[in-house]
Amino acid sequence: MHNEMSTPSSVTPSDSAISIQNVIFTYPGSEEPVLNGASLELPRGSFTAIIGGNGCGKSTLCKLFNGLIPQFYTGDFSGEVHVLGTPADGLSVADLSRKIGYVYQDFDNQLVRPTVLDEACFAPLNYGLPNYRELGERALAMCGLDAIYNRYIWELSGGQKHLLALAGALSLDPDILIVDEPVSQLDPQHARLIYECLSRLNTEYGKTIIVIEHHTEFIADFCADVVLMDKGRVLWNLPVKEGLNRIADLERLGIQPPEVTRAAIQAAELSQGIETNADPSSSGQSFPITVEEANVYFAEHYPSMPYGTLQNEPSSYSNLAHDVSGLFANTKRPTPVSAAEPLIPIVQFHQTWLRYRGLGKKEHEVIRGVNISLHEGERIALIGNNGAGKSSLLKLMAGISLPQEGSVSVLGEVTHRSSLEQLAGKVAYIFQNSSEMFIEDSVRKEVAYFLKNRRIPDADQQVAHVLERFRLTPLKERDARLLSGGQQRRVTLAIGAAMKPALMLLDEPTANLDLATREELIGVLDELDQHVRTTVIATHDMQLVTQWASRVIVLHNGQVEADGTPADVFADESLLRRSGLALTQIMELSHRMGMPTLSPTTEAFVDSLLNQSLTKEAMHHAACPQLV
Amino acid sequence: MQLVRNWFDKISIERIQLELMNTVYGSGHASLSRIDPRAMLIWYLFFAIVPWFVHNGTVLLGMFLLMVTTTVLSRAAPFIIIILCLGLIGQVGWMFIISLFFGGNLESAFPLLLLTLKLSIVSLASITVFSGMDPERIGDGLLALGMPATFSFSLSYAYRILPVLFGEFRNIMLSYRLRGQVPSRHGWLYWRLVVYYMKLFVVSFFPLMLATAKRSRTTVEALETRGFSYGMKHPESKRLKLAHLKITSRDLGFLTGSAIYVALLFWVGGHYEIL
Repeated sequence: MHNEMSTPSSVTPSDSAISIQNVIFTYPGSEEPVLNGASLELPRGSFTAIIGGNGCGKSTLCKLFNGLIPQFYTGDFSGEVHVLGTPADGLSVADLSRKIGYVYQDFDNQLVRPTVLDEACFAPLNYGLPNYRELGERALAMCGLDAIYNRYIWELSGGQKHLLALAGALSLDPDILIVDEPVSQLDPQHARLIYECLSRLNTEYGKTIIVIEHHTEFIADFCADVVLMDKGRVLWNLPVKEGLNRIADLERLGIQPPEVTRAAIQAAELSQGIETNADPSSSGQSFPITVEEANVYFAEHYPSMPYGTLQNEPSSYSNLAHDVSGLFANTKRPTPVSAAEPLIPIVQFHQTWLRYRGLGKKEHEVIRGVNISLHEGERIALIGNNGAGKSSLLKLMAGISLPQEGSVSVLGEVTHRSSLEQLAGKVAYIFQNSSEMFIEDSVRKEVAYFLKNRRIPDADQQVAHVLERFRLTPLKERDARLLSGGQQRRVTLAIGAAMKPALMLLDEPTANLDLATREELIGVLDELDQHVRTTVIATHDMQLVTQWASRVIVLHNGQVEADGTPADVFADESLLRRSGLALTQIMELSHRMGMPTLSPTTEAFVDSLLNQSLTKEAMHHAACPQLV
Repeated sequence: MQLVRNWFDKISIERIQLELMNTVYGSGHASLSRIDPRAMLIWYLFFAIVPWFVHNGTVLLGMFLLMVTTTVLSRAAPFIIIILCLGLIGQVGWMFIISLFFGGNLESAFPLLLLTLKLSIVSLASITVFSGMDPERIGDGLLALGMPATFSFSLSYAYRILPVLFGEFRNIMLSYRLRGQVPSRHGWLYWRLVVYYMKLFVVSFFPLMLATAKRSRTTVEALETRGFSYGMKHPESKRLKLAHLKITSRDLGFLTGSAIYVALLFWVGGHYEIL
């Protein structure tokens, strides 16, 4: 991916893709400028990530490139913008857009035509290019969508829609492609697919790619340069390795460096305190940012470990499962099936089947014969790839869908026999899309809606309490729809908590959140434990699973593929591969290094790494402290 | 309770959406879908206007039979037909009752029957056109007949966005239900429940509108960056879009066939007036 032009200092104006000088822009009606003296130079053929905290002007900067600012959004504008060597001044949005493709964060709203091929041909048709069909087909082929050209858009998965938005932007064969937060709306597998496509466009077709991104793991794996923005200015533009090592800058702006980088830093800090012969230059050294680099790095810097990089092929991983099963034998299964538990389960699935009808009278089976019980006090993570049936299982528990065969009982009541509203008093279901939960015009009313409707005494007091606990008191009179993604998520959780449900169901709570907000959310989940008896989360976020869950249920094709503790599940490599799950960087690293356990968190990794190098015997105690 | 729930499940919004999408886009195999949209629209224009000026029962009955045939050929969804029938019966039955009230008798039913025939012809013609062709073709046809590009685009965009809106509406309504309280007593004929659901149905539109407003910002920007307004100003884009439309012998046959049939009807109607 690195190409020869990736060093930003060696750029002359003529071969720059984008060049902006000292741009200041203020949206109409706003006091503060969004861009405040931004200057940036991006060479042709580069693959650049733009990072920065929320509201730092990333999207505004990118809309500058295709002229949406200042032509579509007229505000106070000053400064110079050059696109592909020509000044953007005299060019219209339509002219600039022939050279620049733009894919939005909410890409679903960008698709305006009914079928895949129509969508890909839309732009060339508008520009009156006679070979529009060829162009559209070529763009589809670039994105790997040529096989489904005649499908309707509403039949596509999220990842396919994103690829299609990409194809639509590529249809005019632009030199520059801007993609706004590709990962935030997609599951990890689809996100990787998108990045692989972008990377191919960059290397094979020589496109200049600009992504707005805050998942540094993806930046490390795919991008060549990284631009950091803060308060409407560009702080720096550096090669990825250097940029992601500017830990102080990143942390100040709430951006998390890649997991392996954090692990390396922690290990260096700790080992310097302990080992006297540690590398003295480590304070100014560069840390690894990808799993590959980290593998080499740890082997070099912590060579005293018994398992080096010798067993770094994935195949060695299956042996691991054996070691692991022994290790975890004592911590297995927190609650179920032990004879001393007379309690009825909170939820019981009995031979449950769920089907729905699609277009053209086709029947789809989404849940196929599920038999599980969920118990009091469990923190359950439902994982599995897209279409595995996670959301459907949640909907069955909430009584939103009813099974065609078998039954679901919630708190001893069969969902068939009670109405949705009756069940809702005991089960709270939090939608994936926060905005669909907002039915009132202020945060306070949202939280109070349920309590007021059920005429619960002291509703006001309870609402005030919940608002306080979820730190929403300062926002309580605002319209929830206008809050940021993280704040919206907090409101939805507060709505759920105020219902005091026995069972809380969350659909993808961390999707669409930046990392700082995500960390905060995990804190809020701990808060939930005081309000509810059992929580179930459907998620793609393996970090969340390892940090939070006590029980993991893996779904695949509507069936339960595995059910156990996080340690059990993550130790089974063939299972993970079969059900299409993505490991976190640190899990991947610990498995490449042939460590005896898959470390779920950086802390656990560093712990086991250092203990390992000190005393091999101590391993068993240090390896799994977080699983007790 | 169980009864109402079953009934509610049957006519779920999901089901309506599915039927609607099937009506609109499931027409790929209908034999009428291959006819040029311009021919189809001209044909429609005739059968939507002329029946209002015809008072001959024979002619109207003949036209009605033709419409029934084309509706069958267009493979309209049963759901749409049922709604049409309910509408017609309701409308005309109501007028008949009023006419009885004002001293009318069975004889006053006759002009009403003619009116019903006219209404059915026009409605069936509309169903034929709108379920026999997908919105894309209708849009192209309208564009070719000189309607503005924005109009034909909005027609096809409306259908693109329909499933999204349905999905969102369903979820908003679900939000109300999940956090609301169903009336504890049904009341006579379940009237409390009916009022409850009607109210939900209405209030769910407000959040939907707000969400749509928010969404349209991206859509408008995206249209701009993809040259939509550029295309509207430049005629070559329109020419390209319509290049695939061709009047074939099939279209001419369809139009002349219909014309001959109608001419025949008028001739027969002149001789034998049955209604």
